[in-house]
Order: sequence, then C-alpha cells, then structure tokens
Amino acid sequence: MTIAALLGNPNVGKTTLFNALTGSNQYVGNWPGVTVEKKEGYIDKSIKIVDLPGIYALDTYSNEEKISKNFLLNENVDVIINIVDASNLSRNLYLTMQLKQFKKPIVLILNMIDVAEFKGINIDFNKLSKELNVTVIPISASKGKGIDKVKMLLMSSNFLKHLDDNDYHFNSEQDTYEYIESILKKCITYSKKNIVTPTEKIDKIVLNKFWAYPIFLTCLYFIFKFTFSYVGQPMSDFLDSSLNDYLVPIVENLLSSSSPWFKSLIIDGVIGGVGSVVVFLPVILSLFLGISFLEDSGYMARAAFIMDKLMRKMGLSGKAFIPMIVGFGCSVPGIMSARTLESEKDRRLTALLVPLMSCNARLPVYALFASIFFPKNQTLVVFSLYILGILLAFLVGLIFKNTLFKKDEEPFVIELPEYKMPEMRSLFIHTWDKGKGFLKKAGTIIFSISVIVWFLSNFNFNGMTDINSSFLSNIGRFINPIFIPLGFGKWQNSVSLLTGLMAKEVVVGTMGVIYGGDLSQALKTAFTPLSAYSFLVFVLLYTPCVSVIATMKKEYGLKMTAFSISYQLILAWIVSFIVYNAGKLVF
Amino acid sequence: MCICDLTVGKKGYICDIQGNELLAKRLLSLGATYGTEVYIKNYAPLGDPIIISFRGFDLAIRKKDAKYIFVKEA
Repeated sequence: MTIAALLGNPNVGKTTLFNALTGSNQYVGNWPGVTVEKKEGYIDKSIKIVDLPGIYALDTYSNEEKISKNFLLNENVDVIINIVDASNLSRNLYLTMQLKQFKKPIVLILNMIDVAEFKGINIDFNKLSKELNVTVIPISASKGKGIDKVKMLLMSSNFLKHLDDNDYHFNSEQDTYEYIESILKKCITYSKKNIVTPTEKIDKIVLNKFWAYPIFLTCLYFIFKFTFSYVGQPMSDFLDSSLNDYLVPIVENLLSSSSPWFKSLIIDGVIGGVGSVVVFLPVILSLFLGISFLEDSGYMARAAFIMDKLMRKMGLSGKAFIPMIVGFGCSVPGIMSARTLESEKDRRLTALLVPLMSCNARLPVYALFASIFFPKNQTLVVFSLYILGILLAFLVGLIFKNTLFKKDEEPFVIELPEYKMPEMRSLFIHTWDKGKGFLKKAGTIIFSISVIVWFLSNFNFNGMTDINSSFLSNIGRFINPIFIPLGFGKWQNSVSLLTGLMAKEVVVGTMGVIYGGDLSQALKTAFTPLSAYSFLVFVLLYTPCVSVIATMKKEYGLKMTAFSISYQLILAWIVSFIVYNAGKLVF
Repeated sequence: MCICDLTVGKKGYICDIQGNELLAKRLLSLGATYGTEVYIKNYAPLGDPIIISFRGFDLAIRKKDAKYIFVKEA
C-alpha cells in the first residue's frame, strides 16, 4: 500500500482536499497524548492518506509540528502531498523547503488557483515544478476543480520520484526565504495592483469599531438558539419523550411477568442509561454544525481577535470565548469545542473552566430553591449564581495560568484567513465525527455509570429496596459530615448531591423522592434561606455530571479528569463555606 | 522604531525581531524576515491586539508581542 502524508499550512483547504480525495472512506482518531485529531482515509484501498495537522513550519516546537515531524521520520511515507495557497506562495513554500529535507517525493498542490488569478498572480507551473523538482498540480478544492487529476496521479504513482541532490538545510529563515524568493522571481508575474479583495471589504464591517461586537453576539445568539431552542434541544426532548412514552410502556408490557428487580434494571437502569446518552446527541450535533460553520468560513479567527483582550484576563486566548458561552447551555459540547483552540494549554485550561459556567441543567435546582426561599428576589438570586460562576472562572483561570500552565505560555499569533463559503460536505463530515466520537467514547462511560447509580439507589445487602435505605443513602450518611460546616448537612441533601452526579437537575427529583410529601414545606424545615443559598452555590460549583466527566476523560485523559473533579469539589466546598459563614456573621 | 509606532496603513520594512525566542522564531518562519514589507492593517475594537500584514496575509498579534518587531519607515 502507498502511504501518502498530507501536509500544509492552516486555512489552505487541506481538509477540503482530504474529504474530496477520500470521501466517506475516512477514520478519525487521536494522536496519542494530545488533543490533536488524527485522520486517515483511503483511495481504493491501495493508497492511505494521513491528514497531518495544519502547520506553518516544522521547527517551532508546537505539538502539531512534533506530530508531523515524527510521522515523517518514523513511518514509511511514500509520498508527501503538500497543499499550498497559490495566492500566497512565499510563506507556504517555507514548509515545503522543510519537507524537502526528508528526501521523499513531493506532490505540490497549488490550491485556490482562482483566488491567485483574481489577485493577478500568474504562475508558470512547469517552471515551478522544475525549479523545485516536485510534481505541481493546480487545483481549486472548494470548486472541485483538479481533484480528479490529483487522484489519478496518486493512483498511477506517476509523480516525480527522482530526488535532487540539493541540501535544503538553510542557516536561517532569512536564507530560506531568500532562496524561495529567487525561485518565485522566475515563476511568477503580477498583472494587477492594489486590488481590494472581498475579505477586506467584509472585514471593514465585521471588524469595525462599533459593529464588531453586535455582529459577533448576533452570530452567537443564533448558534445558541439553533442549538438550545430551535433544533438541538427540541430533538433531544423528542428523543427523551419517545423513550419514555413509547418504548417504556412497550417494554413494561413485555416484562409484566418478570420480577420487579429485573423490570427496574431494564427500564430504569438500561433504558434510563441509554436515554441519558442519546439526549446529548442532537445538542452536540447542532452546536458543532454552527461552530464548524464559523470555523470554516474564516470568521472564528476574527472572533478570537476581537475577544482576545477580555479572555486574556483569565489566561486564555480570544477563541476560548465560544466554548465558555456554550458552557452556559451544556458543558459537554463546551468542552468538546475547546478543541478548536490553538494551543494545548488553551484547550486544557478552557476545558477546566467551562464547567464553572452555569449550565441549563442547574437551573431547575436554582428555580426550585429560589421560589421557596427568595420568592421576592428569584431573578436576582439566580442571576447572582451565574455571575459567581463567571467571576470564579476569571479567578481560577488566573491562578491556573500562573501555576499549572506557567511553562506552557505560547505566543498568540493567529492568521486571519480569507473568508470563504463553508463547504456543506466538510461541515457534515466534521459534525458527524463529533457525534460519533461522543457516542463511542463518552457514551459507554455514561451508560455504565448510569447503571451503577441505578443499582446503588435501588439495592442494599438485603436485596431491592427504596432509595431511603439503599447503598446510596448509606454513602450519603457517610459523607454527610463534610457538608455540616456548609449549613446543609442532612443525609437527604448528601444523597441528592450524589444522584446529581447523573445530571444536576436530578437533584430536584431525588429530593422529591427522599423528602416525600410537599417538597416546599419539607425544604423549608430542612434549610434556612442562607443554607439554601450555600447549597445552590455548591450545586453550581461541585463536580460536573457524569456526561461531562466522560467527555473530559475522552478528550483529555484520566489524570486531568481526576484533577478537574477534585478541584471543583474543593472549590465548591470553600466557596460555600465562605458564603455560609460570612452570611451568618452578616445576618 | 517599533511596528506599533506606524500609523494604520503606513508601510515599513522589518529590521529586527527581539523578545521571546519562541515568538521570534514563529514570526521568522512565517516570513517576517529582514527587509520584509509590513504594515498595520487594523486595531481590534478594544485597541489590542492588532492586525499586521506582510507577504500578502494578515496576522493578529498582541501589542505586547508586536513591540519587539522593529521596522524602518518606508
């Protein structure tokens, strides 16, 4: 089998080419140890194409560059497919010069040839091919032009295999660029001057002092609405109610003669577990459709640019704003979207902070308590919790930035690519990859934990029982002393917080079951307004639900997941402690 | 003079990049080599970062980093 390594700068249409070449015949994985996607695809089973991360060079030490370099060094690469932006050759050829050092045949794909023509850049392909001693193919990937040629060439292996004897190790970047310029001088003529590109026209509006933020917020508003109001959430709710209203009665019927514990295992354990996985899927899919659209159109880089000053205060770059905002809907897609950030440090720090944004599932808990204990100031109380989460994200971000991630500080430079119409096919492939990854990796964990929690809350050593005398209530009683200094140390509350690990809104349901009867009366005797607020602060901050934990594990591995869980527990305890005890002094 | 001293749209030629080694290396590999023509294209609405343009593409960079890019006015 021929192994082809696909390399190129970011934003030159590498993914579009990869999709066009391999179609649905591709597999997405992860490079070991880092949150960088590994994509492989096949043409006709005889050619394997590995899509390496988009990079500008091979010598500036980022994870993406190390991965590409190691791959070229250690795998038996037969040919390098180097895609470049034809309208910006000098910078793109810098990477080509470094690829030359690996002494492999190179096929140089000049993409965006139409843009180059528009800009009045005329390239002599034959001359370029001779000068660089590589096969040159001009294409326009977004318009599908020239793709067949690339495919045919790879399948016939009819590319230049003779390697030149030049040594492409230069003494400095200066020398490399001078060499590139000397080649380009022979191959390029310019026929237009001072043209204003569509990108420049769009940027005049999109980056305008007064319009930049309204435009950005409008984009976000639509993505948020699309995800949580128009498409994603309604579909989730539909899935959820279909499970409960149609599947459950049927299964109940089928199992009418089985023993109660088996019925409960299937209905509450298995179907409940499956339910808690699949309801996330529509939300994840619709959100990623929106985010991929922003990313592929070129707008995401602008968003990062205008948000950078604010986000820098919590040690992050501008792009992190989007995962954080998404976190207000649900932390799961928030953490998953952190992958779009440039550096490993940004991705990790963002994933750690996203759960501090108060997600939708916490709202039912706030709403219940606020209506009982603060009937006159409900909105204010709920709002204060959201603000508290944001403030703590800034504080924690600042602390982590200066301790955990101090060494990893990477300079912030991002290219602002030309705008382009996102390609539907790429959008859908990317979106579906996300959904599939979530189902496969996170789904199994969420499902198994659901079943375990079902078991713990329905059994004790004597067999099946109700939650008040289950294993879970024993655990609740055991950990209860931890919560006494926070003002809400009752075993019922501890158990509710435990089941809240399933999904935070479950806290309300569990309290309904355990306290029994009229919940608002029961809560009024169990809490004071102050301890109720302390409890809400704890609900806001403590360990996120299993879906978030599973996603964290999938994206960042066990160590960071353990860290995330523990730091949030500690943070929740400390802040609730301060709130409760400071409150006691004041009131 | 440093690139931040150029007014928007005014061209200059890069003569030196100092400061953080990683950043300097990154900028050099992007083609910000000696003698390259460069100008400030835009400021972010809050005044920072800035967009600089050289070799036909735009790059967003923070002011605290950009101040290590030294230029000669054209």
